[in-house]
Amino acid sequence: MKNKIFMGLAAFAMVAVLSSCGKKPQAEIDAANSAIEAAKTAEANVYLPMEFTAAQDSLNAVMSEITAQESKLFKKFGSAKEKLASVVTMANQVAADAVTKKEEVKGEAANLLTGIKTVTEETSKLIPKLPRGKEGAAVIEQIKADVSAVDASVVEAQGLYDNGSYMDSLNKIKAAKDKADSLNAEVKEALTKARIKF
Amino acid sequence: MGIKRKWKYFVWTGVILLPAASVILLLVYLSPKPPVSEVEAARLSLSMAGSGEAATYSRRLFNEASALYDSAMINWQDENKRFILLRDFSRVKKFAAESQQKALEALENSKTSTSNLEVNIKEKIDSLNNLTVYFDRIFKFYPLPPEIWSRISKGKLLLRESEIAYSKGQYFQANRKIIDSEYLLTASYEKASQDLKNYFESYSQWKKWVDKTIRESRQKQNCSIIIDKFSRKCFIYVNGTRKYEYNVELGSNWVGHKRVRGDKATPEGMYCITKKFGSNKTKYYKALLIDYPNASDKAEFSREMAQGTLPKNAKIGGMIEIHGNGGKGIDWTEGCVALSDSEMDIVFRLVKEGTPVTIVGSTVQLNQLLD
Repeated sequence: MKNKIFMGLAAFAMVAVLSSCGKKPQAEIDAANSAIEAAKTAEANVYLPMEFTAAQDSLNAVMSEITAQESKLFKKFGSAKEKLASVVTMANQVAADAVTKKEEVKGEAANLLTGIKTVTEETSKLIPKLPRGKEGAAVIEQIKADVSAVDASVVEAQGLYDNGSYMDSLNKIKAAKDKADSLNAEVKEALTKARIKF
Repeated sequence: MGIKRKWKYFVWTGVILLPAASVILLLVYLSPKPPVSEVEAARLSLSMAGSGEAATYSRRLFNEASALYDSAMINWQDENKRFILLRDFSRVKKFAAESQQKALEALENSKTSTSNLEVNIKEKIDSLNNLTVYFDRIFKFYPLPPEIWSRISKGKLLLRESEIAYSKGQYFQANRKIIDSEYLLTASYEKASQDLKNYFESYSQWKKWVDKTIRESRQKQNCSIIIDKFSRKCFIYVNGTRKYEYNVELGSNWVGHKRVRGDKATPEGMYCITKKFGSNKTKYYKALLIDYPNASDKAEFSREMAQGTLPKNAKIGGMIEIHGNGGKGIDWTEGCVALSDSEMDIVFRLVKEGTPVTIVGSTVQLNQLLD
C-alpha cells in the first residue's frame, strides 16, 4: 500500500514537472496587447513613432517566442512572461511620453495660432492705411491675396487643431506664421516709405 | 525479504518509466523542428523595414510582408494544435521566407524611394524658390488679376509647408505639398508670362520711338526723356547720349496705353513738354506737363468710341505730368510719372518746353528681361 502511494506520488511529480510553466500566459499576452492598444490610442504612433514601433516589435518577438515554446513537448513560458511584463512597461511609458509630447505640440500650435491671429489682425488694420486712391494696386493686390491665403491657412490649421490633429496643425501654422510675419513687415515698410504713420 | 521487495519495486518502476521516457525521447526526436529561425529572421527583417519607414515609402511591399508574417504565425499556431508528430511547418517556413524577402525588398525600396524623394523634393523646393524670386522680380509691379495673386500666395504657402516637412524628414508630406505648390506656381507663372508676352507685342513700335528719340536728340543736339515703364526708369539723353538714369513710379494700372480718363494708366507714345510748373505751381513739388493727348491719342480714342469698345460716357484723359513726390516704392500716381524730389530738381533744370518725352512699355526685348 505504501509503495502504491509512492508510485502515485512519483507519477504525479513527473506530470507536475512536465507541465510546470507549461501554460500559455494568456493573461500577460492580453495585458501586453492592451498596453500597445492604449499607446496607439494615445497616438504614440503619431507623436513617438520610433518608440511605438519598438514596443510593437518587442511584442512580436515575445509572441514568436511563445509560439516556439508551444511547439515544444516541454513548454516553458517563464522567460516570455517576464518579457511580456517588460512590453507592458515599455508600452505604458511610450503612451505616457506620447501624451506629454502631444501636449507640447498642442501648446506650441495654440501659441502660434494666437500669435498669428494677432499679427494678421494688425496687418489687416494697417492695409487700409496704405495710400488710398493712389496706392500701388499690384502691390496691394499681392498683399491682400497673401493675407487671404494666410487667413485660409489659419482656418485650416484651427480645424486640424480642433480635431486633435495637433502635429498637422503645427506644421501648417508654422508656414503661415512665417508668411504672416513677413507680410506684416512688408506692409509696415510700405507705410514707412509712403511716410504714413501707423 | 525487505530488500527483495524493494528491488522488485525498483524493477517494476523501471519497467514502467523507461519505456515512457523512451517514448518521450522518441517523440522529441521524431517531431518536426519548429521554424524558429525562419520566423525570427522574418520578424527581424520586418522590424528593420519598419524602422526604415517602409510602411510609408514602400507601403505595398511592407503590407505584403506584414500579411505574410501574420500568415506564418497563424499557421504556426494552428500546427501547434495538432499532434506533435503530425505537425507540418513547411507552409510556415514558406510564409516566413516570403515575408522576409518582401520585408527586405520593402526596406531597399524605401531607402531608394526616400533617397530619390529627398533629392527630388530638394530640387523642386530650390527650383520653386528660384521661380518665386524670379516671379517677384519680373511681376512685382505687374497688375495681374486677383485670382492669379491668390494662387501664387497659396502656392508660396504650400512651398513653405513643404520646406518645413522636408526639414523634419517627412518626405511623404513634403512631396504632397510640393506637388500642389508646383501646380499653382507654374500655372500662375505661365498665365502671367502669357499676359506679359501679349503686352510686349508692341515692342517693335516702342523700339522705333526710342530709336527716333535718340536719333533726333543727337541730330538736334538737345535733351530728351525716355520713360521705360517696365523697368520703371527715366533716361535722360543729352545730344544722343544717355546721361542720367532715375527710378520712377507710375499709375497703378500701368500696363498698356492710356485709353480713358481715370483709368490710372500711363500713356505710351512720343510726346513733348508743354509746360513747366515750379514748386509753387503744383502740389507734386515740381511738374512737367506733356502734350497728352496728342493727335494720335485723340484719333485712337475716337476710333474706340466709334467701335463701341469704350463706355459711351468715357472721356479722354489729360494732365499727364512728370512730377516730384516719388520715391515711395509703389505705383501710386493717376497715370503720371513720379520722380523723387532731388531727381526732379535735376530733370527740371535740364529740360525746357518742347523737350521730347517718349514713354514706352520697355526699352529692352522681353527675352532679355526674362533672362
